[in-house]
Amino acid sequence: MSAVLEIRDLHLRFRGHSGVSEVLHGVSLDIRAGERVALVGESGSGKSVTARIVLGLLQELPYAEVSGGLFLEGADLNRLSRRQWQGLRGTSISMIFQDPTSSLNPVFTIGAQFAEVLRRRDPGLPRGAADERAGALLRSVSIHDHARVLDAYPFQLSGGMNQRVVIAMALANHPSLLIADEPGTALDVTVQAQTLKLMHDLVERSGTAVLFISHNLGVVREFADRVFVIYRGRIVERGPTAAIFEAPGHAYTRALMAAVPRITGGGPPEPNDGETAFLDPMVVHEGGGA
Amino acid sequence: MTPLLSLRHVSKTFGSGPRAVRAVRDVSFDVSRGECLAVVGESGSGKTTLANMILGVFGQSSGEIRFDGRALPSRRTLEHRSAIQLVQQNPLSSLNPKRSVGASIRLGLDVFGIGRRSDRWRLVENALEEVGLPGDFRRRAPAALSGGQCQRVAIARALACQPRLVILDEPTSALDVLVQARVLRLLDGLRRTKGLSYVFITHDLSVVRNVADRVAVFRSGELVECAETGAIFENPRADYTRRLIGAVPVITDHELKLRESLSGGLPA
Repeated sequence: MSAVLEIRDLHLRFRGHSGVSEVLHGVSLDIRAGERVALVGESGSGKSVTARIVLGLLQELPYAEVSGGLFLEGADLNRLSRRQWQGLRGTSISMIFQDPTSSLNPVFTIGAQFAEVLRRRDPGLPRGAADERAGALLRSVSIHDHARVLDAYPFQLSGGMNQRVVIAMALANHPSLLIADEPGTALDVTVQAQTLKLMHDLVERSGTAVLFISHNLGVVREFADRVFVIYRGRIVERGPTAAIFEAPGHAYTRALMAAVPRITGGGPPEPNDGETAFLDPMVVHEGGGA
Repeated sequence: MTPLLSLRHVSKTFGSGPRAVRAVRDVSFDVSRGECLAVVGESGSGKTTLANMILGVFGQSSGEIRFDGRALPSRRTLEHRSAIQLVQQNPLSSLNPKRSVGASIRLGLDVFGIGRRSDRWRLVENALEEVGLPGDFRRRAPAALSGGQCQRVAIARALACQPRLVILDEPTSALDVLVQARVLRLLDGLRRTKGLSYVFITHDLSVVRNVADRVAVFRSGELVECAETGAIFENPRADYTRRLIGAVPVITDHELKLRESLSGGLPA
């Protein structure tokens, strides 16, 4: 099966006053149709910049140097003009951010924002038809009083409700790739669990490929088919979720897992400080087409 | 022995009339000396309102808060203020960005008159060393520190005031998991060596399981369940507690089994 997204040997450098800092040192990653792939790492490891590069956002910054191959459904993204790339956002590639409330515009109603999203695929869509389609999309995320929600401003809805709205918007134009950057981290645990399950079911039904960015290993274990562990701009381990969680091979992955407190108890987790081994070569688990 | 902290029928209502918000409703619990009580609940459950009442940021609408056997007055004395300290969630925004780390720590010593003036910089350095930072960190600005270092400074600042009770309001939620593990171990060690009591506010039940002696579960301002940590996780009585445990993301099959046995039959 061909890859929906393929990233080949991606490098990123930022030029600053104090010289050049290398952020990504050759990241390669692939996601096939209908597959949920997680990119896991700590803050500053390069997770979010990778997502922004796929969206073509970092390439627009004058102080960022990006190199490496980027392919969406076989098409070379690097050959796109700025305008063409912009055209992909919200149609072929969509994104869900960490905090749903602040990723919606506070001065427009949900209905107006939905119409804007739908018109990216369908420019002449009248508002009435947009509201109708938005209503159906909201029902798919279990929002049943959609008339009230479409008339509401984001601040009038709860965080969990906004999160569902954002998920519905992200899937509105049937994207081939959905990028979810720490979705639900800003929400309560019960709401987070519900929305993740909802998102899981929706992407499964629509066959959307997902790049799932997270620092939370528990959430990754529940959501992803395959996992890429990133440390300081390098992929240190990759493989099917079950294989990585059953037998983490890289020192960094093992340290991450040892640091997660268990609900079965055992006292505060003991982090092992083998930081030199964190730079060991990548561990690859075969299977799942990895 | 009387408990260190004791709340009896404490309520807090903001505003009045039909739009009044009853943030905390008739809550009673104790914290013994040397104990770590976890306060668990989702946003809006009243966790932070509770912390603010214990700290004296504002008074309760009704009920009584007792500290060391005596009712806490609404206007706190310096003694009370130094005895009850706070560590907040976001370490960077809880430190004054214009002050050096050392000056922030020293401020408490000056206000509460702890130690001799000439001794105080040494006390500041001791406090930093206690949390695993070099003493000369006192000259640094908060912006020059990592999140984990900032949180250590915030802990050092609280400890320098010689508290008996520390309120930890989501102390590790903003930290990466490796850093969180180190800070949790640090907090656990400090509590044991100094005989401190903690009120550990968090929404993360897997952290609670590993650091708390007892757990108080809050929902919409009400205390749903309060019991020893083992009992909460092995035999939760309230459906809400089961639901909270059922929503915790876990990484091992062993945990998954426990979680499923507890939350079985309940909707996620």
